[in-house]
Amino acid sequence: MGASGGSSVALTISGLSKTYPNGVRALKNVSLSIGNNMFGLLGPNGAGKSTLMRTVATLQDPDSGSITLDGIDVLRQKDQVRRVLGYLPQEFGVYPKISALDMLNHLAVMKGINSSGERKEVVEGLLQQTNLWDIRKKALATFSGGMKQRFGIAQALIGNPRLIIVDEPTAGLDPTERNRFLNLLSSVGSDRTVILSTHIVDDVRQLCPRMAIIAAGELLLEGSPNDTLGALSGKIWSKVVATDDELRAVETQLPVISTHLVGGQHELRVYADASPGSGFQPVDSSLEDVYFLNLSQQAQRPHAS
Amino acid sequence: MALFWEFFTFELKLRFKSLSTYVYFLLWSTFSFLCVASENFGSIGNGNGKILLNAPFANTYNDITAAFFGIIIMAAIFGTSILRDFQRDTYQILFTKPISKFAYLGGRWAGSFVTTVFAFSGLMLGAWLGTFAPWADQTRIGPNHLWNFLQPFLFVVVIQIFFIGSAFFTVAALTRKIFIVYIQGVALFMIYVIGITVFSATRSLERFWSGILDPIGLLMLDGVSRYWTVIEKNSLFLTWSPELARGVFLYNRLLWIALGLLALGAVWVFFPMSIEALTARSQGRRAAKAKELELLEAQPVRSRVAARLPMVHQAFGSANTFAQYLSLTRLRLRNILRDIPYWAIVALLVALGINNGYFAGRIAEQNVWPVTYLMLQAVEGNATLFLYIVATLYAAELLWRERDTHFSGIHDALPLRESIDWLSRFSAIVIIELILLTVAMLTGILMQTVLGYYHYEFLQYFKELYVVTFPQILTYTLLALFIQTVVSNKFVGHGILIGIFVLMPILFSFGWENTLYLVGQVPAFTYSDMNGYGHFVPALFWSIVYWLAIAAALGVVSVALSRRGSEDSLGSRARLARQRAPRLAPLAALFLVIAATAGSWYFYNAHVLNEYLNAKARRHIQADYEHRFKQYENLLQPKVTAVDAVINIYPDRRSFDGKVRITLQNKTGQPIAQIHLTDQKQSVSNVHFDRPFRLLTSAPRDLYSIYALDQPLAPGETLTLTSDVGHQSRGFRDGNELPELAYNGTFFDSDYFPYIGYNRNVELDDPRRRREEQLPSLEEMAHRGNPAYSLNNIFPIESDWITYHTVVSTSPDQVVLAPGYLQRQWQAGGRNFFEYSMGSTHVLDFVAYISARYQVRKERYQTPQGDVALEVYYDPAHTYDLDDMLASSRAGLDYYQRVYSPYQFTQFRILEFPRYRAFAQSFANTVPYSEGMGFIGRVVKPTDIDFTYFVTAHELGHQWWAHQLIGADVEGSNMLSESLAEYSALQVMAHKYGRDLMHRYLRHELDRYLRGRSGEVRHEPPLALVQREAYVWYQKGGQILYTLADYIGEDKLNLALHNFLMEYRYANANNQVDAHDNTRALAATDLPYPDTRMLVDAIRAQTPPELQYLVDDGFNRIVLYDNKAISATSQKTPDGKYKVTLEVQARKLQADGNGAETPLPLADYIEIGVFSGKKDEEKPLYLKKEKLTEEHKTFVIVVDQAPTLAGIDPYNKLIDRIADDNMIDVTQR
Repeated sequence: MGASGGSSVALTISGLSKTYPNGVRALKNVSLSIGNNMFGLLGPNGAGKSTLMRTVATLQDPDSGSITLDGIDVLRQKDQVRRVLGYLPQEFGVYPKISALDMLNHLAVMKGINSSGERKEVVEGLLQQTNLWDIRKKALATFSGGMKQRFGIAQALIGNPRLIIVDEPTAGLDPTERNRFLNLLSSVGSDRTVILSTHIVDDVRQLCPRMAIIAAGELLLEGSPNDTLGALSGKIWSKVVATDDELRAVETQLPVISTHLVGGQHELRVYADASPGSGFQPVDSSLEDVYFLNLSQQAQRPHAS
Repeated sequence: MALFWEFFTFELKLRFKSLSTYVYFLLWSTFSFLCVASENFGSIGNGNGKILLNAPFANTYNDITAAFFGIIIMAAIFGTSILRDFQRDTYQILFTKPISKFAYLGGRWAGSFVTTVFAFSGLMLGAWLGTFAPWADQTRIGPNHLWNFLQPFLFVVVIQIFFIGSAFFTVAALTRKIFIVYIQGVALFMIYVIGITVFSATRSLERFWSGILDPIGLLMLDGVSRYWTVIEKNSLFLTWSPELARGVFLYNRLLWIALGLLALGAVWVFFPMSIEALTARSQGRRAAKAKELELLEAQPVRSRVAARLPMVHQAFGSANTFAQYLSLTRLRLRNILRDIPYWAIVALLVALGINNGYFAGRIAEQNVWPVTYLMLQAVEGNATLFLYIVATLYAAELLWRERDTHFSGIHDALPLRESIDWLSRFSAIVIIELILLTVAMLTGILMQTVLGYYHYEFLQYFKELYVVTFPQILTYTLLALFIQTVVSNKFVGHGILIGIFVLMPILFSFGWENTLYLVGQVPAFTYSDMNGYGHFVPALFWSIVYWLAIAAALGVVSVALSRRGSEDSLGSRARLARQRAPRLAPLAALFLVIAATAGSWYFYNAHVLNEYLNAKARRHIQADYEHRFKQYENLLQPKVTAVDAVINIYPDRRSFDGKVRITLQNKTGQPIAQIHLTDQKQSVSNVHFDRPFRLLTSAPRDLYSIYALDQPLAPGETLTLTSDVGHQSRGFRDGNELPELAYNGTFFDSDYFPYIGYNRNVELDDPRRRREEQLPSLEEMAHRGNPAYSLNNIFPIESDWITYHTVVSTSPDQVVLAPGYLQRQWQAGGRNFFEYSMGSTHVLDFVAYISARYQVRKERYQTPQGDVALEVYYDPAHTYDLDDMLASSRAGLDYYQRVYSPYQFTQFRILEFPRYRAFAQSFANTVPYSEGMGFIGRVVKPTDIDFTYFVTAHELGHQWWAHQLIGADVEGSNMLSESLAEYSALQVMAHKYGRDLMHRYLRHELDRYLRGRSGEVRHEPPLALVQREAYVWYQKGGQILYTLADYIGEDKLNLALHNFLMEYRYANANNQVDAHDNTRALAATDLPYPDTRMLVDAIRAQTPPELQYLVDDGFNRIVLYDNKAISATSQKTPDGKYKVTLEVQARKLQADGNGAETPLPLADYIEIGVFSGKKDEEKPLYLKKEKLTEEHKTFVIVVDQAPTLAGIDPYNKLIDRIADDNMIDVTQR
């Protein structure tokens, strides 16, 4: 509970804007301060998360704005950033006909680990950690989705990076793999800056002391999950309706923030200071409500800015 | 059927919406347009000057070529039509629907077929449009007939599309892998190329089965039209007729249509129409692999508590940079080296190397030792193409690999400099190229060993492969990397690169010959064992440095522009480039400075120190000479009677200087007031006469000067001309180096001396080049008996006979020779001096100087007529043929002295010169002989032709036929030198190797004659009227005379030649004043030289009446026989003998100069023979010349042994276009 982290600010993003040549405005004046801990970046697909992550990971330049990491100008001193960066892109492939062991060893060289003894140690450690040890000599190209994802995290962790960026790491993982992955991430993420981008609210809830919600290129909210939850306490109301018509009726009257199917019936949630009407029950707010509330509030705002 | 229509129209719609279809159409239109509109494009355009560019033959040839190179397009269209469903997984949806196999396969196939036919139909449109190009050579464009375009298209292209397309379709449908389809295409292409190489290396004249089995048609077309004359090529079609070349075309087409049908049958039978079957096979292996890994996965999971990762040290100094470079390079290299395609390329390279290497020692009909330059040519020739393909493919693969595999997200965020990244890609390509070069070298060494050649020249391998070829590959690789960096699509990049690669030779043939703008090119060079890379080195070096530096600068730009991160837009890449520029700019500047320096130096040498002329400019000079001075051709001029020259050769500077003193005498009946001089080589200066004179006019480049004598030269009077001669080589040229001048192996002749009057040899002779220069057709030679021309001999026209004396010097390590007996040899000023003189012996005014570091093999040969010093001057490494040359010289001296006349000299010398020119040439008692055609000859099998022996005998023969008897400057006279020398050599050969081998050899000579007349650019003359047609004076002349000797008797013919020689030799030699004799001045008027009429008369005199027709046919007409064995059966007789019934056909035709034929009545003696024995080793049981008077005749012949073969004219003594059908197997009854 309370203010998260407490450590000093490591990564400062200020006024970041980016418009792609096709006219899509991926980032609109985004500013963020991220400390030495895990930071969750929530947002729907196409929100600009990946653009933000790639910009921090030195893979593209913004139109305006600046980023600093411990005094390094990320946009100019890219090589300095890359030396302390571990990056797992949202989608990645592997070279054909190369084993996990060889590839990690190669990447360790790339990350400046010059002692072959240390390299061996770190690569073997990572293979153990990511449970790839038994298949370390198999060609990466034959890996299943989960194995590949674990290889991805292993490579991101080589060389004790100061800044770890993982973009949608749990997409496509089965629940067991996802849990294992989150464990690993939390074990390394305690004393460094980790940015976890995801559209799965649970990931953030489980791992991140601080988070931000981003949609349509705009920063909607920044804070700790607990603080934001606290702000909603007692203001989320739930109602179960049976038919589509009923749902439609409620939608026209009230600001519905989300609906779920429960046993074939619609459970809908409404944000309101007091009970919005008959049949509504107060419920515990979840991080998901924070997320959906912010999204729906943004959707209702006129697109001016 | 409706469903079929559905698939068919769907396929068509898709194809006709696709840009590629129109690109293919445009490609073929352009190709055939250029074939017709440009004379510098394609074999037909560049080839024979009389074949119409829009005639059936030209269209057929171009269509075959297009269908060959179009294999890859057929693969692309047919292969992808069916693979599309599998690549995009639409088959899952498709095959759950009720569709019939016929509709699916048939629709897809038919759609592809129609599309491909459409794409290739551009060939017809382009060719047709080409005929309207205003710049096209209108004399070579006949009337346009639709059928001329349509027939070849239907019979060649459409059928090719049918069966090759069907094969691709079937393989694609059955394997469902695009990779296999491409491999199939490449394999078909390569196997065909290898097959053609092997077949031509066997030198087989077989054209029946090879033509039928030829899937592409190049051999087939050659087989059918090999001996077609111009008229036939301009009018005949390849038709279905079984009469046409024994039906080769018909059977070929039937065979391949049948195979196409078979392929379609196979796909019909074996293509499964169910998803299970389709998935099971293509995904079976992958599924198995995944399962295996999942099993490993299921093992117990270790503790969920994450252990701490070890602390490591990171350092990013230069040591790490280097480690990064190594690791990346290793990784990339491993990626390639673990890939099958690379090893497939290596395997193909080895296969081609072994094949070509095995035949490295075969040059045309000659067998030679596989010396290293030949072996390199064999293994490197094709390898070069592979090297470029590898550079093209892997430059793209390596640049795009991170993106293609989606690894770029991780890779681009690594702390790695772009330059290191780029350098490792470049290094990986460099290493795989080095592997290929080394493989080529090892293959070459292996094949030399296999062929029993153990004189390994590793240094030459090293220089050629790693010093000359490798940097060019580097240049190309850098260019490939640059283009792939700039363009945003790999395949567009490939297209641009291939375009550049193909464009260079095309630009060159269009006259754009400057190395400085022909991307990545070096000037042409030739390695010579005598002279190494010699004077080619500086031009090679600087052009390589120039292009490599430019490419390296582009490499730096590539680094600056290299893709990194997720943005590929030009703007963002330009921004990145600007960030990187400060570090890279100095390097780029350095490379540009190197390029500018090398380029300037090259330009200074090629364009300032030397005059730069492209082929067209050089032709224009020739044409200009003819335009302006042809008028003086018949001007009466004095003749050269003596030459005295002092020449100093500076081999290390490729220069010489000297003075000549030429004695001229007025041998006409009129006073001569003007002396005209041609200075063809721009080597003459400071001309003086021994009496007052003035220069009247002189042409640019001093090509032609006219001097006026104050006192005209009276008839019989002599005049002395002195001048400086010489040539100073300055720097280097952009190709076109003079072959005469070399560090080791200088060989130039009296072309560098002043030539009196107009020199006809300067004239252009290629008809299309003459038209280009607005010159009329090359003038026919004068008729025999022409009073003016008969007073000159044919070569050289400016003189009758001369006496010759020279003092020549060269560098201290070299020996220099010239015709004449060595008088004195001394050293002065650190140079070697030699004095040669012919004394009072008359020689032709044709002398040469040959200087090199020689070893000598000498021998004194005693003949009844006197001793002859035989000497062979050779490169120390080339000892192979010395004995052979000496043996041939002895045999020739024996034979010629016995049957013709005594040898007029007491020495005969053969001298090796560098292979920049490939010939042997007979000067008086002196024969320069190219290292490229002699000195490395090798006779392995008893059936091999000993070319060295033959050529030596031929050149020795010229000491009689040319150096004793020379004909008038009229038609026919060339045969008096060449055909008689050829005949002489054939007889010398026959006496050593036997008549059987000679028949084999003459069979090839016959082939060369028939092909020669098929490529005739003017009109074919009869032998006695030959003008410039080498195939007539060598191949036909040799054959006619040899056969004549066989018919009338060798002794009879030799007697005729002896009589002819003794009556006419040394014409005009003694009615002149020369350096040794001033007493004959009064009778100094030229008399007519002999011509072929005198030869024919001499032969007639020895020919019995019944064979007189042979003399007419042989000398005065073009006669062709069509002899053929129809059937042969044998029956054992009661007395143990065999009665053979042989039916033959004999026809005789006369052709005119264009090849139009008319039948001649038959009353000829033709050999009828019955043979027995093993194949190719048959011995005659019966052989007799029978008189045939009708077309068909049946012979009944009784022989002692069981016959195997029988027929008419078994040894091909008569000229017959289908020589293969003269014999037939005897069937036993």
